Parts: sequence; C-alpha cells; structure tokens
Amino acid sequence: MSGMTLATISHVYAGRKVLDTVSLVIRPGEMVALVGPSGSGKSTLASIAAGIVKPTKGRILRQYRQHAMVFQQARLLPWANARENIAFPLMLNGLRKREALEKAESVAEKVALLPEDFDKMPGELSGGMRARVAIARALGVAPDFLIFDEPFAALDPALRRRLQDLVLSLGQDRAFGGMFITHDLAEAARLADHIAVLDRQGKGVLGTLTPPGQRGHRSDVDIFDFVQQSLYGDPLLSDLVHVDERAMPLDLVGDAGLGPRRCC
Amino acid sequence: MPGYMGFEGRINALRRGPVRERLVEWREMAPILALDGVKRFGPPMLGLGLFLATWQAGHVAYGAFILPSPVQTLQAAFGVLTTSEGWIVLGATVARVVAALAISLLIGGFFGLLAGYSNFGRAMFAPVATILLGIPATAWVILTMIWFGPSHGAILFTISVVTGPMLYIGMVDAVLTRDRRLEEMAAAFGASRWAQFSRVALRQIIATLAPVFGIALALGFKVAIMSELVSNVAGIGAALARSRAHMDIDMALAYVVLAVMGLLVIEHGLIRPMQRRVGAWKRVSG
Ligand SMILES: Nc1ncnc2c1ncn2[C@@H]1O[C@H](COP(=O)(O)OP(=O)(O)O)[C@@H](O)[C@H]1O
Ligand SMILES: [Mg+2]
Repeated sequence: MSGMTLATISHVYAGRKVLDTVSLVIRPGEMVALVGPSGSGKSTLASIAAGIVKPTKGRILRQYRQHAMVFQQARLLPWANARENIAFPLMLNGLRKREALEKAESVAEKVALLPEDFDKMPGELSGGMRARVAIARALGVAPDFLIFDEPFAALDPALRRRLQDLVLSLGQDRAFGGMFITHDLAEAARLADHIAVLDRQGKGVLGTLTPPGQRGHRSDVDIFDFVQQSLYGDPLLSDLVHVDERAMPLDLVGDAGLGPRRCC
Repeated sequence: MPGYMGFEGRINALRRGPVRERLVEWREMAPILALDGVKRFGPPMLGLGLFLATWQAGHVAYGAFILPSPVQTLQAAFGVLTTSEGWIVLGATVARVVAALAISLLIGGFFGLLAGYSNFGRAMFAPVATILLGIPATAWVILTMIWFGPSHGAILFTISVVTGPMLYIGMVDAVLTRDRRLEEMAAAFGASRWAQFSRVALRQIIATLAPVFGIALALGFKVAIMSELVSNVAGIGAALARSRAHMDIDMALAYVVLAVMGLLVIEHGLIRPMQRRVGAWKRVSG
C-alpha cells in the first residue's frame, strides 16, 4: 500500500491563491505524472504532498510507509561529498555516520554512480551525476512513495532519457509509486501510469489520462492532445478526454478517501 | 592534458610521476614556474620594498630620534620578545581581545539569530543596531573610562560594544541569505525544525559569518590598543603610552610593529585557516 489522496487542497501564498481546490488520488503503486505550465503550483502541491508545506485548506490521506523526494536542481548539501549527501537522510533517521556512509555506497551503486565520484563535492559533479546522487539519496530511505519535482528539467535530452531509463528500471518491480512532476510530456508519458494536469490558475486537476498499458509504453500524441485541450479548454476535445473520478473533488468521490475502485 | 593549472597545480603535478620523468618535467617547467612565481610574489614584494625604502629615506632625512630605521625597529621588536614583560604585554592585549570577541559573539550572535528568524525581532532591533553602529569607537573608549574607570572590565566592555553590533548585523545577514531550499529538502526527509537548523542552516550561517568575525577581530584588536592607551591598563596600548612619555620612539615603533605582526598572526594563523575550513564549499559550489 503506497497511495496518497489529496482532497480539495487550496493554498494561499501571501494573499495569492496558488492552488484552488485541487484533488488527486494516487493509488497504491501508481506513478502519476503532474504536468502544467510553470507557476501553476506543481511544486507547491509536491511540497504539500511531502509534508513540507501545510495547505491552507484541504485534507491529505497518506497510505505509505516512507516517502522521499527528488528535487528540481538536486538540492545537494554543498559542503558534503556525494557519499555524505546520500547518507544525509539516513543520519537524520538516527543511523550512525559509519553505517550511513556504508549504506550510501551500496545505494550509489544502484544509480550507477562511479566509485571515483563518491568523494566529489556537488560542485565537482556534472548535472547528470548530481541528479543520480539526488535519486540515490531518496532511495536510501527505502521509500514506497516517491515525489519527483522536475528532477531532469535542466539536463540535455540524451541525458534526460538515460535518467528516465534509470527511474524506469528502479521502479520496475513497483517498489514505489508516487508523483512525477514535469513539463516534458514525453517524459510524463514514459514514466507515469496516469497524467494529471494542473491549469494556469492552479485550478483543480483537470483530468487524468488513464491509458491502457504499462509505464513506458504510450502514444505521445494522445497525451499531447489531452494536455493541450486540458490547458486551453477546447470543448470539442472534451469527448476525447477521459476525465476519471480521481480528478473530481473528493466529496464527489465519496469520503472513503480512495473512491470507487475500477477493478482488481 | 589539463588546461592552465596555476602555480600550486603545477607544483603538485610535478610532485607526482616517476623520478626521471619528473626531472625532465622540472627542466621544462622551471622557467614557467619561475615566471609564475615572479608574477605571484613580485608585485607584493615590490610594494613592501618601496614601503621600507620610503621608511629608510625618512630615517636618513629626519634622523633616528624622529624615525628609527626599519632594521633598528625590528631589533627593538625582537628585543621586546626576548623579555617576559614583553610577552605579558602582548598576552594581555590578545587575551582581552579574545575574551571580548567571545562575549560579543555570544550576545551579538544570539540577538542576530533571533532577528534573523523573526521579522518582529529584526524590525525591533534595527534602530538599536543602527545607533550602536553609529557611535564611534573612540566615543566608547571615553564613555567607558568615565563609567567604569580604567579597568580590565572597561576595556572588555568597549571592545564588545564595538564589535557586538557588527556580529549582530553579520549574523542577521547570514541567517537571511542562507539557502532555505536545503532546509525544505531536509524537511522532506523528515528533519525536525531543530535538525533543519543544526544540520543544514548552521553550516551556512557559520560560513557567512566567518569573514565578518575576522573583520570584527581585527577591529577589536585596534580598539583594545586604543583603550589601553587611554586608560593605561597593561597591554600594547599602555606600553605605547609609556614609550610616548619617555619619548622612546624605538620602543613605540617596536610595539607598533608587534601589533601589526600580532594582527597578521591572528589573521593568517587563525582567521584565514578557519574561514577556509568553514567556507571552502562556498567557493566550489559557486
Ligand atoms: N514560498 C513562496 N512564497 C510565496 N509565493 C510562492 C512561494 N512558492 C511559490 N510561490 C508562488 O506560487 C506560485 C506557484 O509556484 P510553484 O508551485 O513553484 O509552481 P510550479 O512548480 O508549477 O512552477 C508561483 O506564482 C510562485 O511565485
Ligand atoms: Mg516547480
């Protein structure tokens, strides 16, 4: 079980409404991509999901053991080397430094970090390596719910693709579900089971695409149409879009939290 | 091949590799190294040389009674260092500065932390800090003399009250300019507010505060000498006052040299290494 329900979340920053009654249901083991123009409140929603920010209004139902987050621009501690950065959450959880560093090394290998990079400081690592360290840091706490906030946005396409492959391979056994924020639709299509859209005004999750098939196998064209029309509100396309119940405000879904199950 | 390595990079590169290759490299590198050395150390040496030459010229023009030569002065300075009284004089000033800086770091730092984390506190303390910073150090020297008379405590107070507001401002700045996104990151991994402060914020705060602390220490040293001079409490300042009374220009200059050397020792032996330690990551991460 590693799902999350965000129910009618609203958030106000300095008098400005950033999120306006957004609801989103992430079922156990699912990876949901969250797309939307910049400034639409994606990061804010991620911070709320991660428990960093308390929403002005709304409810959150968490059904997982441990969450972790991979941020935009990695957010590594600049005074710590790669190994120490990966060990940081482990030490926060009370592990002793020695053990934490040992564990960090074994996690670093999972993300194909080279041993010669273990001792490098963040400033000495390439953007791709920093992203790998950030992923390893998140994996170290053995999360079953992972929140990615545009982790590869600043990387070139080839590198981005390699890191997407890494995320796919790490998630292959469905060890974790979660939320993947991106404004690259192809990335959303590759990595997620469903796509949710946040509009310009931080107004609701407009709909989620529930395509047949698995992560990593989907037609980019359908998704593009879907997002286009979600964001620009072409009523003609509304028939094409399957807006499912997870996008509805929770009171329409029922109070149970996860809403009616479609199947198995 | 690496690109331009700079002086230290080249020296280190030469230390690696088998001996024979190293010798060949040395031969090839020697002229480049020499040029680098001249480029690096030439200008400061030239400046220092010009300064000493001007001093010497002044000595020749006005005579030893007005301006002893650099050599005479250095001899007098080393003379002071061979006596136990000399060390006591230097030690008194240094101990006072260190103690006063500890006090002002404690008090200025504490209020700086409060103000950094609370908008209310910052707004409240702002006018007080401005007023305290605006009072000239000499005014404090006079005021504390009147209030406390010439005493060890009075000098500690003077140094603390001059450097405390600086450390306060530095602390506020350090708290405000820290990268809060790192604390968010820690929070996402379940760090408590205290853990966010102690494991993430504090490292950055110390790195930002270190240069300010260095400046405060140097200022504290000057204020200490000035206070000692006025109040005639044992220390470099009092020794200067005594030299003046005896018209002993050799001794006066010797203590000036010792004060400058003391500052250099504190700066390069204590402050710079400390700044390098706590701030190295700032330069790498950019
Ligand atoms: N800590 C904050 N204080 C005030 N405004 C904020 C803060 N964080 C984000 N905002 C504002 O909220 C809006 C949504 O930001 P964000 O969630 O980062 O959007 P996105 O990730 O979709 O680009 C933006 O207009 C941004 O300026
Ligand atoms: Mg964002």
